[in-house]
Amino acid sequence: MNSLLTLFWKELRELLRDRKTLFGIIIVPLILYPLMGAGINISQTSAQQAAAKATIAVIDLESSPESQNLTVFLALNAKVELLQYQSVSDALPNLDEGNYSVLIVIPQGYGQNLSQGLQASLKVYALFKDLSIAETGKGTTISALLTVYEQVLVIQKVQELLKNSPDTNATTILNPVQVTYSSAFRGKAVDVDPAQLLSATISQSLSFPLIVMLMLIFAMQIAATSIALEKEEKTLETLLTLPMGRLTILTGKLAGSVALAGISAVAYLVGFSYYIGSVTGLSGLSTISQADLQALGLAPSPATYALIGLIIFITVISSLALAVCLAVFADNVRSAQSLVGILFVPIIMPAMILMFADISILPIYLQWILLALPYTHTLLAVKAVFIGDVSVILRSVAYISVFTVIVLYLAAKIFTSERVITGRLFARRLRSRS
Amino acid sequence: MEGLEITSSLPAVEVQNLKKMYSSVTALDGVTFQVGEGEIFGLIGPNGAGKTTCLRIVATLIKPTSGSVKIFGRDVVTQDVEVRKIISYLPEEAGAYRNFSGREYLEFIASFYAVGDEEKRKMTEEAFKVTGLNERLRDRVGTYSKGMIRRLLIARALAVRPKLAILDEPTGGVDVVHAFHIRNIIKDYADRYGVSVLLSSHNMLEVEYLCQRIALIDSGHIIAQGSPSELKAKYGSQNLEEVFMRATSHE
Repeated sequence: MNSLLTLFWKELRELLRDRKTLFGIIIVPLILYPLMGAGINISQTSAQQAAAKATIAVIDLESSPESQNLTVFLALNAKVELLQYQSVSDALPNLDEGNYSVLIVIPQGYGQNLSQGLQASLKVYALFKDLSIAETGKGTTISALLTVYEQVLVIQKVQELLKNSPDTNATTILNPVQVTYSSAFRGKAVDVDPAQLLSATISQSLSFPLIVMLMLIFAMQIAATSIALEKEEKTLETLLTLPMGRLTILTGKLAGSVALAGISAVAYLVGFSYYIGSVTGLSGLSTISQADLQALGLAPSPATYALIGLIIFITVISSLALAVCLAVFADNVRSAQSLVGILFVPIIMPAMILMFADISILPIYLQWILLALPYTHTLLAVKAVFIGDVSVILRSVAYISVFTVIVLYLAAKIFTSERVITGRLFARRLRSRS
Repeated sequence: MEGLEITSSLPAVEVQNLKKMYSSVTALDGVTFQVGEGEIFGLIGPNGAGKTTCLRIVATLIKPTSGSVKIFGRDVVTQDVEVRKIISYLPEEAGAYRNFSGREYLEFIASFYAVGDEEKRKMTEEAFKVTGLNERLRDRVGTYSKGMIRRLLIARALAVRPKLAILDEPTGGVDVVHAFHIRNIIKDYADRYGVSVLLSSHNMLEVEYLCQRIALIDSGHIIAQGSPSELKAKYGSQNLEEVFMRATSHE
């Protein structure tokens, strides 16, 4: 036990003091994601602030009561400046200077057409300065205001037509059917807009595979690095002749890698959740309440998290053991990491597919391919835990566990054999070691 | 150290008809020799003769294809963990953890051999002295020269007071000053503490200075063994270099 503990601490110290490892697994996620989030946050906030300060420029070429009515309505809801130009071509060159977001041109005949019951026209110019994403809101603010204004005009018009039928309500004519949207899941219903429910669950189904995928990839790289560093630095032979069993060494290495992968995963979670928070906080989507999720059986409980933790733990162990099996055949860190790169395919493929689609809607051959990959089962099990699908949880956990036991057995076999010393991949000619 | 109840009548190393094959290549073919307790025994031979393979088998790193190797009566295949408790091995190309300081590395190694904190403290203190690296022990191994690393490794191999030290080219690739220091450490441990040493070397002067007995190995076979003076007399040679050339019929 003492040897194991000594080895475990050695692994942690050795890898955490390795600048490349430290940078890749902790510093980057802790700094990069929040920086990305902060970057997006700052640019979006400044864009919103700029939009809030922006002025609507109006050129009223008619100056009728109807056109003035429109200008007053706009001025009540936004910052409006009435400009005294005679044509658009006169106005446009001068509008680059001020902080204008749109130009509304009320043409001759606007009021006349309205009063005569004809269709009136308005011209709206979105004034772009640099065509960046920050300018996407320019057209939408004014179109929302104009829609409201149009609605008011419609109601006024309908009321005018209904002067002789006092019992009829203009609103019921315009909206004869009122539709309310609710969501139901597995026989339980809540008054939650389907779009809101989906946005809540989609963020779960998008972020979980991504985080699990990143964690597995990092765990594998750490384990491979831990073995390959020993070979590269020529310390493996000494380590293997220290007074302890080979399985103790393997366990110590796996334990050190698990701990580091855990630290790395926390760094990723912190960095990534800050990033997601920075981005989604700006989307303006109202979030679904925890109570509504609970009513649908979708709110994760502590037991849920514990189960997910267990599933991920078993998966990480198998991926570490796999990485160790491969890294034994590499001479140095770089070739170990390239070798382990082969294993990323069966991790990334299911993660990418299941991020966007449920396995049941995929073509049957793809379902079978995915189900054969152990990492698919991690993702399926995590999803099943969220929706409480016991049979899927049991099936997937059993599959991953069996796979993990097999891989661990293989790793132990390789590690206790002399392959750990003599193992070389692509060695064309075997030479005597003397 | 644990498990030191060893009967003194047993040889430190007993290699019997040892054979090792890598795929179709025969690295060792029927090697037999013994190392007595407290003796410094040298394996001498050209590159590819089978020296490292032999030492690796003795150090429990790789398994023999046939034959047997016993360390103080313990079999290297069936009692490998027991054997590792009484040996220490210095590979030909060895390093130390570059992100550890010299001190940390020696403490790390000592914690596997020492029973209790007091023994560990004594072991590491001794190792610190043996290295002769003084203040540099606080620096990271990554900043050490090749000679300094070799001294650190020799110290870690001997300061744990193994019953048998297996040293593959102990002074390989280091300068005269470091090599001199390393040879003295080895001799000192054998003389003072009765540590048995099995070493390999290319340096005939070193072998003559250190070893009580030697075995000449070529193409996986032992071609001659005995004390340096016996071998010189047998081959009518002035020095071991000539002995080796004559024994291997290169002359």
